[in-house]
Order: sequence, then structure tokens, then C-alpha cells
Amino acid sequence: MNEHAPSAGGPAGGEQPSRDPRGSSDAESRLAALTLQQEQLAQGVAHDLRAPLRAIDGFAAMLTTHAGEALDATGRDYLQRIRDAARRMGSLVDALQTYSRVGRAPLREAPVDLSLLAEWVATDLQDAEPDRAARVDVAPGLAVHGDEDLLRELLRQLLDNAWKFSAPRERVEVRVEGERDGDRLRLRIRDQGVGFDMQYVGKLFQPFQRLHGTEQGAGAGFGLAIAQCIAHRHGGCIHAESVAGEGSVLHVELPAGGDPETAP
Amino acid sequence: MNERDILLVEDNPDDIELTRIAFAEAGLDSRLEIVRDGAEALDYLFARGEHAGRDPAKPPAIVLLDLNLPKLDGREVLQAIRDNETTRGLPVVVLTTSTEPFDVDASYAAGANSYIRKPVDFEQFLAVVKQIGLYWLVLNQPKE
Repeated sequence: MNEHAPSAGGPAGGEQPSRDPRGSSDAESRLAALTLQQEQLAQGVAHDLRAPLRAIDGFAAMLTTHAGEALDATGRDYLQRIRDAARRMGSLVDALQTYSRVGRAPLREAPVDLSLLAEWVATDLQDAEPDRAARVDVAPGLAVHGDEDLLRELLRQLLDNAWKFSAPRERVEVRVEGERDGDRLRLRIRDQGVGFDMQYVGKLFQPFQRLHGTEQGAGAGFGLAIAQCIAHRHGGCIHAESVAGEGSVLHVELPAGGDPETAP
Repeated sequence: MNERDILLVEDNPDDIELTRIAFAEAGLDSRLEIVRDGAEALDYLFARGEHAGRDPAKPPAIVLLDLNLPKLDGREVLQAIRDNETTRGLPVVVLTTSTEPFDVDASYAAGANSYIRKPVDFEQFLAVVKQIGLYWLVLNQPKE
């Protein structure tokens, strides 16, 4: 070992490891600068990227109102395409902001009733699409230890995915279940949607990656990346399995909460 | 109906025009006063500078405040409103694009009455602005 190398390893010769204050301070300064840069970027996205989109959508809407009659079908279709693109971009900005936020938000850990959160998220999805036939079964007693806001976001992304990719089905069928395994909760979210080809499973959790077209329910391509980021921040993990055309199962492992004796 | 004005503090000309259109659809456009930065907002409220001729005893029914503004930002404007005895009770609705938790928390901590995000979708934006007008100018009973 180079005697001038920083002593970042374990104790040697029975002595406590010496900490290089200058090196540590440099690393902390770089981390602080990176965190600040990320926060400034997030603020810029939050404030400045949506305003032009609102103008594009708003003035295209006004043009449709004021001059729509003078346009032929092609012209009106072009205006509609402008509005659709502005809304898609708005959804993408929302997703980018959420992805950024879940990666840097402070983790406020406490006991969390995941079953209750899943019921709330399912109710929100049904409220947003009241005419959609849907059944979301949530097993009771799914207790974890984690950040309630982030875990609600994780469930929102996973249930939203299950809901969206059931678009071709007559009815949305989702089951949220799991069991305790030592100090972990093994959660499963099963749907009977379009599924995906397992040869692309490696791409599934990367941002901007989509395995389906928008007509099959695809969004901005951030949902599973957001869910994975939240699982990792809790020291957990996430993986998926699927049979194309038959549905998917998302497996999430999180720190278990509650009483191990009464857990499912 | 409350006969006072609405003060819109907004620097983006597109958002000003869209807000004007939304208030016009709600029949409230004649009540809209527009200032384009934080310093001018305080000049208006305290009847000074180019607004020196205004009667300070007639405050607006509501201030619609963007956060990112030239000169003084929305948080500073809000703080100045809450720090002054004559404007302390003025309803201030933060109407902004951000949903960042630090903006929401900081706005409520500084005394905002409400925090509303401006939607990208125009129909939703119209609905939001109309509801703000309906609530604060028709339903809400202001302090005399």
C-alpha cells in the first residue's frame, strides 16, 4: 500500500482509521455543489419549462376557437396535434420533476400501512376514470417501514402502469399482495394487461425507455424508473416478470414494518 | 359580489394574456389590475411610485402572486405584505407553475392563503382561474 494513499479503508495495526480532513472536505464540497446544482435544475424545470407549454396549448386553443371555422380538416388536425404535443411535453416535465424529487427528497421514515396507501391510490385512479370498469384487490396488513410520501408515489407509479397497460382489456384487474420474509416485505402487484416481452426486461427500469406505443397506454417512460429509485432509497429492490399478452407481476422488496407475529 | 379589484402579479406576457382571457370568460376581466414585477406589486399596494395616485384605503380583493418575478420575487412580496399592518390580512393566492415541496412549504410559511399550480392544459387553466375568481370575489366575505 502506498504510504501516501488516503486511509479510507478499515483500521490497521489496531489504530483507529485516520480521517483526511482535507480530502473528506473536498468530497463533501463536491457533493454539496452537485446537490445544489440538481436543486437549481429542478427549480428551473418546475418554474420555467411549463410556462411556454401553457402558452402553446392556450393560444392553439384560442386559435381553434377564433379561426377554426376558416380552416379545413387538415388545418384543424394540425392545431390539435400542436395541443396534444404540448400536453405530452407537460407530462414529460412532470415525470422528470418527480424523478428528480424522489431521488433527493429527505427520507422521513416511519411505520407505513402499504395496504391503505394502495387503496387510496386505486381510488384516485378510479376517480380519474370513473367510467372505466376496474377491480383492484388489495391484501390487508401490508406493513412496511419507510417514507409515506415516497411509498405512495411508488404505488401510484406501479398501479398507474398496471391500469394504463390494461387499456385494451374490457376491465382492469389488479391484485396487490405480499408477505413478510424476515425483516423484509415482499410485495407483488399483478395485472392482466398487455404484458411485455421478457427479452427487454433490462430496459424496463431505465428512464425514457418505453416498451409499448402510446395507443397501448405508454406514458413518458419514467414510471418504473421512479419506482425503482424509491425502492433503492429504502434499501429495497424491484424486478418484473411478464408473459406478453397475459399480464405482468412487479415484485418489490421493502423493509418490513409492524408486528412480525401478526404480519401476513 | 365583492367590488374590489384583483391584483395579478405576473411577468410572463403569455400567462398575463391567458389569465386575462380566463377572467374575461368568467365576466371578471374589468376587475383585473396587472403589475409585472415584485417591486411594482408593493408600489401598487402601498400607493407609491407610479401608483402614488391610487387610494391605499382600497386594497384589492385578492392578490394572485407568481413566485419567480423580476426585482423582488414572490416570497419577498408576500413577506412584505404580511409585515405591514395595513396589508397583513390581504388574501394572497400563490398562482405558480411549481409544485416543488420547498415552494409550497415556503409560501405557506410566509403566510399565503392558498397555493395553486397553473395547469399546462388550457381548459384546466380556464377552470382554475374561474374557480379562483368565483371563490374570492363571489363566495368569500372579505374583512371590511
